[in-house]
Amino acid sequence: MKSAMRFFTLAACFLSPAMLRAAPPVDPRGVEFFEKHVRPVLVSKCQSCHGTKRQQGGLRLDSRADLLKGSDNGAVVVPGQPDKSLLVKALHYDGDVQMPPKGKLPDEAIVHLTEWVKMGAPWPEESVKTDATSLSVSEVRRTHWAFGPVKKPGVPAAKSPDWVKTPIDAFVLAGLDAKGLTPAPSADRRTLIRRVTLDLHGLPPTPEEVNAFENDPSPDAYARLIDRLLASPRYGERWGRHWLDVARYADSKGYVFTDERRYPFAYTYRDYVIRAFNEDLPYDQFVLQQLAADQLPLGEDKRPLAALGYLTLGRRFLNNIHDIIDDRIDVTMRGLQAMTVGCARCHDHKFDPIPQKDYYSLYGVFASSVEPKDLPLIGMPEKSAELAAFEKELAKRKAEVEKYREEHKEELAKRNRKFRDGLRALEKKVDQWQVTAPVAPPRAMVLIDKPTPETPHIFLRGNPRNVGPEVPRQFLEVVAGEKRQPFRQGSGRLELARAIADRNNPLTARVLVNRIWLHHFGAGLVRTPSDFGLRGDPPTHPGLLDWLAATFMDDGWSIKKLHRLILLSNTYQQSSSGDRGLLEMDPDNRLLAHMNRQRLDFEAMRDSLLCVAGRLDTTIGGRAVELTTAPFTTRRTVYGFIDRQNLPGLFRTFDFASPDASSPQRYATTVPQQALFLMNSPFVIEQARHFLQRPDVTAQTQDEAKINRMYQLAYGRPAEADEIALGIQFLAQARKSDPAKKEPTPLPAWEQYAQALLLSNEFAFVD
Amino acid sequence: MTNLPSHPLTRRDFLCRSGMGFGSLGLANLMASQGLLSAATGADRSTSPLAPKGPHFAPKAKRVIHLFMNGGPSHVDSFDPKPSLQKYAGKLLPRTNLRTERKTGAAFPSPFKFQRYGKSGIEVSELFANTARCIDDICVIRSMHADVPNHEPSLLLMNCGEARLIRPSMGSWLTYGLGSDNQNLPGFIAMCPGGYPIQETQNWQSAFLPGAYQGTYIDTRHTSVDKLIENIRNTSLSLAEQRRQLDLLRQLNERHQERRQQDAQLEARIQSFELAYRMQMDASDAFDVSREPKHIRDMYGPGTQARQILIARRLLEKGVRFVQVWHGAGQPWDNHDDIEVQHRRLAKECDQAIGALLVDLKQRGMLDDTLVIWGGEFGRTPTVELPSPGNNAGKVNGRDHNHWGFTMWLAGGGIKGGYVHGATDEFGFQAVEDKVHVHDLHATLLHLLGFDHERLTYRYAGRDFRLTDVYGHVVKELLG
Repeated sequence: MKSAMRFFTLAACFLSPAMLRAAPPVDPRGVEFFEKHVRPVLVSKCQSCHGTKRQQGGLRLDSRADLLKGSDNGAVVVPGQPDKSLLVKALHYDGDVQMPPKGKLPDEAIVHLTEWVKMGAPWPEESVKTDATSLSVSEVRRTHWAFGPVKKPGVPAAKSPDWVKTPIDAFVLAGLDAKGLTPAPSADRRTLIRRVTLDLHGLPPTPEEVNAFENDPSPDAYARLIDRLLASPRYGERWGRHWLDVARYADSKGYVFTDERRYPFAYTYRDYVIRAFNEDLPYDQFVLQQLAADQLPLGEDKRPLAALGYLTLGRRFLNNIHDIIDDRIDVTMRGLQAMTVGCARCHDHKFDPIPQKDYYSLYGVFASSVEPKDLPLIGMPEKSAELAAFEKELAKRKAEVEKYREEHKEELAKRNRKFRDGLRALEKKVDQWQVTAPVAPPRAMVLIDKPTPETPHIFLRGNPRNVGPEVPRQFLEVVAGEKRQPFRQGSGRLELARAIADRNNPLTARVLVNRIWLHHFGAGLVRTPSDFGLRGDPPTHPGLLDWLAATFMDDGWSIKKLHRLILLSNTYQQSSSGDRGLLEMDPDNRLLAHMNRQRLDFEAMRDSLLCVAGRLDTTIGGRAVELTTAPFTTRRTVYGFIDRQNLPGLFRTFDFASPDASSPQRYATTVPQQALFLMNSPFVIEQARHFLQRPDVTAQTQDEAKINRMYQLAYGRPAEADEIALGIQFLAQARKSDPAKKEPTPLPAWEQYAQALLLSNEFAFVD
Repeated sequence: MTNLPSHPLTRRDFLCRSGMGFGSLGLANLMASQGLLSAATGADRSTSPLAPKGPHFAPKAKRVIHLFMNGGPSHVDSFDPKPSLQKYAGKLLPRTNLRTERKTGAAFPSPFKFQRYGKSGIEVSELFANTARCIDDICVIRSMHADVPNHEPSLLLMNCGEARLIRPSMGSWLTYGLGSDNQNLPGFIAMCPGGYPIQETQNWQSAFLPGAYQGTYIDTRHTSVDKLIENIRNTSLSLAEQRRQLDLLRQLNERHQERRQQDAQLEARIQSFELAYRMQMDASDAFDVSREPKHIRDMYGPGTQARQILIARRLLEKGVRFVQVWHGAGQPWDNHDDIEVQHRRLAKECDQAIGALLVDLKQRGMLDDTLVIWGGEFGRTPTVELPSPGNNAGKVNGRDHNHWGFTMWLAGGGIKGGYVHGATDEFGFQAVEDKVHVHDLHATLLHLLGFDHERLTYRYAGRDFRLTDVYGHVVKELLG
């Protein structure tokens, strides 16, 4: 049919040059208007009788040429002149012909169509290129670095084998050799333990840990240090948080009118992620559970169901389902595959071989999945009076909703706003009880398949009212290849998960090892960690990326093994001091001739302050706690409540990942508001006071010894003589104009000093 | 732990992404020769996200104040007189009422008197009599239109150029593109007394741009600076004591730095404490309207609106790039009922101060390069809202939302004053002549600030995003 149409258009061009001239150049405004207001009406209201299948009265309304050709009785539209256009009259029911025959269109549609005719009936050239990209898909699969199969490359022969501790070093050294560069010397042990502890735990080492490591003569001291750090629950809290950035984790839904905004059970996903990292859940399992835990054989322990929060805890976009699905497609495809599939929502991807139809293939998977009304329990606390009270109150609130629904059936059926608001308020009380009652048993924010899966259609230009051809639910061709099969089981979510958690998927392992590398080094081997497409950055070390990806899979997708591999390399253990010439030659340190100096992010900063103050509460998991208001919690920052609608200024100021979409990497801006927080916030001043009141600090009676102990705690090293002198001098001056008597909370000289140590660059940066 | 040399926030990335692209070689020279970075020096230049930057071409406007009448002020009662409504008072219009949020009925003539002002003779209602005295500096756009008759999407469209999805706001785009002229104050400030408007902080969100470009919210119900800006004052130390503490900090940091190679991020962080120290003074000063002479305070008048508009002027004067002044929490201008009483009250709260602002900017020579924007997220129907179950309490004296046609006005900043652009139909229901969509307004705004709206972009998730998405046309007729 389509080719027949094309033929017709072509013929019209040849046979009727006058007509061709008559067609005005299509103004983009006109096209916008047409796509937004006119095409949807033509598709939904006119084309069933005047389209490809039927042509009542000889009229077709699915191309401009057909429209202008008119019906058996002649022209129906005079472009620019609605008054003379039969179509417009018919829509107004103004005369013998009244269309559509079943009932007048809504006023706004009539206004739009009239205006459109007045504009000259602009209609863009047809360009549904649903097949056009297939050639380039296979070509790109062959040529682009990210789409070829992951094969373990040979390790390059090293020129200076002494430096090469692991195959990673051989790859890095080969890159340096090619430019005539040499790696930086190894960092000293003190630097190294501070680096690796902050890296794996987001917390500084204690002075005792530093001493022990410095004085450990055994050759495997460093390897044992890594093992100790990886075995601690502090590790999962740190690295789980990196994943929560990818998962655009938050504890709230965003703006949802007057509904309860807090997710009662988002924390069960956060806790699942932390546990997965701590238990070294193989990454392929981690992926499967996050996309389809509801369809996996789980056994007794239902906690992995919480993994589905990956899909469900996004923003709710005023409850618009298309946007919610778009968010789920995005977090899946950018988060797990580094493919920017969201670009193909309205048209074929402009740069990557992702046709629009592939977007809607994935759309169909998520459109066929729903959140059940009652979320499944994933743990039951012991029977207790409190629990019984909770359940009683919950039942009571639910009953009130039902009662109201029953009593005001009529008003509600009439959509009376007052009663709808009344019902909403009662429903909100149910949600609020789940959110606030401390004993509410944990539930998983799952998705389940609809009884009958949806058959997706392309939405032309992304407009759900502008329905195009049907597509199967299936995976991307650029990843799965030409022989891909449509999904057959239910929504296809499990098949999608399997296609991603597959050894033969070229992206999954590459993307993950790059994310891990990124957090160790501050920059990925691929510097666009969530875009491995044609416009992303190619890897700085393609061989190394593939070697890591292949090794990672050979090691059973173990993330902890991957950490060990990277951390044991000489590359990671380099000093962060590159020489000046080097900085000019490779300012972005793409070749890794030294370690990158990194600034503590928000969590590491706040947790380190608490840790040095001796106050860090190491309780694991549970409901989120409010971080920003006094009395200040001393829980780790990962357990802070994240309100994605009104993210507190503190989070934003310190470049916290936006919880609105999957975030591969944080910004690192330097703004005075960060300094203001450190200088003036009651939280920081509180930690400075506690820092000074630690028993191991107060035990030091001499000023010199006290300063020395504080240096060890804050920086992991003793104070040098001139530093002690500087401190003593400051204290003397500050005491002179002491009493710092500002009411109501004077800050004595020692506390001013303690705070300054915590504000310093040495505290904030990791060499 | 993700600070890194090639972080997406290097200067080069900024410039490339702002559509000012060039390669990475000889960067400093190129920038110097193109005059892309004017005022910033030293460490700020490499890492401060708010360091001043030049736009694509010479701008007409350097800063913006957006007076946001949230809730939707009625155009037929303010800047778009429709005498024909009188003819049909209480009767159905001879055209169908367009669909808006709720059902509307008969024509509802404006209860407010209109009169001609200035040399241009543009008609304005008594609601904005003070503003109208400056009408010859004002460009009234009577043909604005948006997409839907609901607050939430319309607010986001007006602020972020997209009705539902998460996109950066105008102020974020501008501070991203231009930085700010005063490093001691936030570059983008959103003021709203008593709480947030509907959609809350999303109205000034930076979305995928760095948090530094997010609007700083100020609750102007408060008057003391401690309550206006977080952590702006140390409650335990005097400034002199804090200065001594920061001197110690600088010595610690310098010692730390001496033992390492030069590293811009270390320097930038040292600088940030100095900036913060000065911000404590500058912010206190900027928000303290008692420092204005009495005749100026009298000119703006009494009340919260006057105070916040005067604060806004002080901020602009100090180099803040974008100030958004919201009328109040929630949606004050959303008068489904009692429009006569309510609109009169609301206009009385702000009209004198708005008029004073225009006069004041002019007398300071700032109006030429300050763009003033006035408007809501949409207008209101020329027909009366019909009571619906659970709404209106039986009243029939208000107007519903209207996105089909409404008025906004611009002044200063390269705008053609004393000019009316476009028109709604005979009754004010729908924009019909020279229609200006919100995207067009954004394109024009960016043009005035020196940007090609198609080239001020940021690459995120595989796409180059811009304020105008794939839409928008500069409305050349508005330019002076």
